[in-house]
Amino acid sequence: MRRNQRRALAGAIALATAVGLTACGDSGASDDSGSGSGQIELSIGTFTEFGYEDLLKEYEATHSNIKITHHKTGQGGPYHQQLLTKLASNAGLEDVVAIEEGHLSDVLDKPHLFNNLTEIGPKDVKPDRWLDWKYQAGTSKDGALVGYGTDIGPLAMCYRKDLLEAAKMPTDEASVKAMFESWDSYFAAGDQYVQATGKAWFDSDSQIFNAMQNQLDEGYLTKDDKLAIESNKDIKSNWDQVTAAGGRGQTAKLVAFSPEWNAGFKQGAFATKTCPSWMLGVVKEQAGPENAGKWAVTDAFPNGGGNWGGSYLAVPKQSKHPKEAAELAAWLTAPEQQVKAFEKTGNFPSQVEALDSPELLAFTNDYFGDTKVGELFAAQARKVGKAQYKGPGDGKIQENATSPALQAVEQGKSPEEGWQQAVDAAKKIVK
Amino acid sequence: MTTVTRRAPHQGVAPAPPGPPKLTFRQRLSVADVKWSPYLYIAPFFVVFGVVGLFPLLYTSYLSLFDRDLLDLEGTFIGLGNYTELLRDSQFWTALTNTLSIFVLSTGPQIVVAVGLAALLNTRLRAPTGWRVGILLPYVVSLVAVGIIFANLFGPNYGLVNSVLEIFGIDRIDWQGNRFFSHLAIATMVNWRWTGYNALIVLAAMKAIPKEIHEAALIDGASAARRFFSVTLPLLRPTLIFVVVTSTIGGLQIFTEPKLFDAMPGSNNGGSSNQFQTITLYMYQTAFETQHLGYASAIAWVLFLVIIVIAIVNFLLTRRLASTGAEDDR
Amino acid sequence: MIAIPAVVRRRATGDKRASFWVYGLLIAFLLGSVFPFFWSFLVASRDSSMLTERVPPLLPGGNFLSNAVRVFDSVPFWKALGNSIVVSGAVTLTTVLFSTLAGFAFARLRFRGRNGLFLFVVATLAVPTQLGIIPLYMAMSEFGWAGELQAVIVPNLVTAIGVFWMRQYTAQVVPYELIEAARVDGCSMIRVYWHVCLPAVRPAAAFLGMFTFMTSWNDFLWPLVVLNAENPTVQIALERLQSGYYVDYSLVLAGTTLATIPILIVFVVLGRQIVAGIMQGAVKG
Repeated sequence: MRRNQRRALAGAIALATAVGLTACGDSGASDDSGSGSGQIELSIGTFTEFGYEDLLKEYEATHSNIKITHHKTGQGGPYHQQLLTKLASNAGLEDVVAIEEGHLSDVLDKPHLFNNLTEIGPKDVKPDRWLDWKYQAGTSKDGALVGYGTDIGPLAMCYRKDLLEAAKMPTDEASVKAMFESWDSYFAAGDQYVQATGKAWFDSDSQIFNAMQNQLDEGYLTKDDKLAIESNKDIKSNWDQVTAAGGRGQTAKLVAFSPEWNAGFKQGAFATKTCPSWMLGVVKEQAGPENAGKWAVTDAFPNGGGNWGGSYLAVPKQSKHPKEAAELAAWLTAPEQQVKAFEKTGNFPSQVEALDSPELLAFTNDYFGDTKVGELFAAQARKVGKAQYKGPGDGKIQENATSPALQAVEQGKSPEEGWQQAVDAAKKIVK
Repeated sequence: MTTVTRRAPHQGVAPAPPGPPKLTFRQRLSVADVKWSPYLYIAPFFVVFGVVGLFPLLYTSYLSLFDRDLLDLEGTFIGLGNYTELLRDSQFWTALTNTLSIFVLSTGPQIVVAVGLAALLNTRLRAPTGWRVGILLPYVVSLVAVGIIFANLFGPNYGLVNSVLEIFGIDRIDWQGNRFFSHLAIATMVNWRWTGYNALIVLAAMKAIPKEIHEAALIDGASAARRFFSVTLPLLRPTLIFVVVTSTIGGLQIFTEPKLFDAMPGSNNGGSSNQFQTITLYMYQTAFETQHLGYASAIAWVLFLVIIVIAIVNFLLTRRLASTGAEDDR
Repeated sequence: MIAIPAVVRRRATGDKRASFWVYGLLIAFLLGSVFPFFWSFLVASRDSSMLTERVPPLLPGGNFLSNAVRVFDSVPFWKALGNSIVVSGAVTLTTVLFSTLAGFAFARLRFRGRNGLFLFVVATLAVPTQLGIIPLYMAMSEFGWAGELQAVIVPNLVTAIGVFWMRQYTAQVVPYELIEAARVDGCSMIRVYWHVCLPAVRPAAAFLGMFTFMTSWNDFLWPLVVLNAENPTVQIALERLQSGYYVDYSLVLAGTTLATIPILIVFVVLGRQIVAGIMQGAVKG
């Protein structure tokens, strides 16, 4: 027994050593330098679904000297985590990386991190390819283009027709437009709904507040990167308006993307929802087939429109093949390719030509009553006048200061205390 | 072997004392073996730790003296500035209180239950392996699943726990919103995950206690309770120390459970007003979200010191509580 | 020696047959332990919608296989399984080897600085790992290991917990006399380790092996940072299942169930060994 055990243990150790050695041997083969025949290996990193799988194959087919490896991470959180770590350690990034707009402002004015795409990218790629505000948001203060825009999230308003009808509120097109024309009318309609049914009007304070915040000229920081949360009176008045409405019962107090929020769709816990284009898919999945046709989407959005979400493709300075990487990124963000991605995953294009493409304009969504959503969101996208200036830390303030503070108010804190919490947290982020 | 004896050459002069016998090569090897092999045997750990633990630790302490953001090329030297700011930071104190509270709520009951469980398992059971697999199962389930499961169970609106409470006529509890209850919920997560693990460790030690000792105590007329406290417990002392110290260190460092418990997925906030943010979570948030790397390094170092202090306290406490007096602990 | 009736002896020395209430308590505890796992299997065998129902169903549905197939279609699960087995296996073997070695040294060998060094080992447990990620990642990139399995194996070759655990156990079960006897017989240190120490600490070493395997299997944060989706471990592959703005929980939980099965197998296989080892150890005294 003992002898057999000894043999087994010795064998196992030998095995482990062998595995270790072969693993060590492998690292040589995975170096990305070309195999001598002019082959260039490019890697691209994305998160959630960008719809690039077929496109990358197409690119490889037309560029015989290029081989592409696609790294997909599931959710945006871990992906950006990894991105930050690799930026900080200055190693390990792909040649082309996707960055969401909320995280872009953190890396925009650090020239040592990313290449300037106007310098290394194809010369025929011009700013007018994209919606003006999308392009501007990807440009640093010094005028360097850090990211080619991929998709956007133009805002529309989704609402439950049947719930409104049950509250004896009008659901014809003209009335709906009037209801959602301004924030004042939106909240007034909310009061009406709450009085009639006792149920919530929207899912959470922060969803409404963020939309209102995004419509301001400047975000949480002024153009000279000073914290504006106290100096900009509009921010506080938005806060007051939202928390007051929430206090009157309009909020369902559900944190976006939490399991309870998912459940809320099924339960009909709220009657309206701020809907960027990508939210349609979420609503459909969460509300389920039994609610098909009950949700509608309208281009009437308080104060016109707005944007929530959207990404860019950037080329890190770490890349060994910046020029080829920029070419790939430019190709992927060309209107034709973006429309193909839209057809695959619903990511709404940010390219001007794409907004006019017939495929897009004809696109309908049967879950939402066969509305021509392509056309709808294209119109919404154009309504966004200019890019809101987002200074470094803007996204963090939204995620870690105002949203949690609004949640605290929903959980019982007074709006004034909540505001103080938000301000304190914002100051900490920016210090 | 014959030895040749010699007469002392000079009378009256004491012969020189015989020196140490000259060692053969093999004997010298053996002496070297005894002397140096311990260092060789502990070397692998220190080598690995040097690269994986010491280097990051030193680098972090270096970083903590600077005001530096994650993505900056370099920082400005501010000496102990981060530490003084930390002392005035209310969020830090909140996190520290949270950490200690969750720690007490989890480690204390956990160890008591683990010892009790081990005692239960120490009886002759049918299908013993089955029971051991069963209580170890929580440790084996992946953290992804744990997060989803407990977030659902403790949801304020639709969670199972609240539904059960309602059946008993108790008000629903806002598990994420209320500070104390959030600690309770997280302690439950931690306890659920680790109690079985600790119970098996204690069980292994219990099984190692020779039967003769129990028999001797029985002959002396000790009752079951007395036997447990005066015989079993002291003999479990090294194991209990192990369990207490590792639970302490692990418990003060918990990160994943509070992170997963937040209603906002992916949040590092530990609740809307940091109700259940632990120090490690605060450190992580500071490093990777607000991206103040120097400050985060200072937090890490303070946590390190806190852990050492509390671990030593617990070590001494356990040694005293489970002692018989004289102990052979060479 | 007083003759102790066998019944009394059994009761005293832990060999008594478990009473009814012992079983009762154990069942209660087991239900608590197993319930979340059962629940995740429940969701995996139905679909996500059951999560939102006020009164959830309690019986499994028939979807598990189809969800499992979807898991294999969505992510390179076989490769992830293989990688995890390699990584966890290698880490377990080296950790057990080096920990028993170091534990032997700290427990039974006398050398200068022994106590101080051991205290240092324990102190290293207090180092929070999360912050070390960045410098460690830099080191891994320097060695060219980023994205390779070495980056996940090497930092875990031996752990402080392992050393601590083996040292405690070795101190308990390996008598000095046995070691001295072996030395007198002319054994070198390594043979003392191999022939005297190792057999005695087998149960604890088996435990350590099992726990190390499981901890390594479930490790998430570090592999997420240093590996890629091409070369994932099981946990990374599971994370990939959560792609998209909405999460199909039945898919994710099917993945986690699949990921747990190998560990269960390891435990069941090793479990018998451990039980046997413990029983032997108890008798040996």
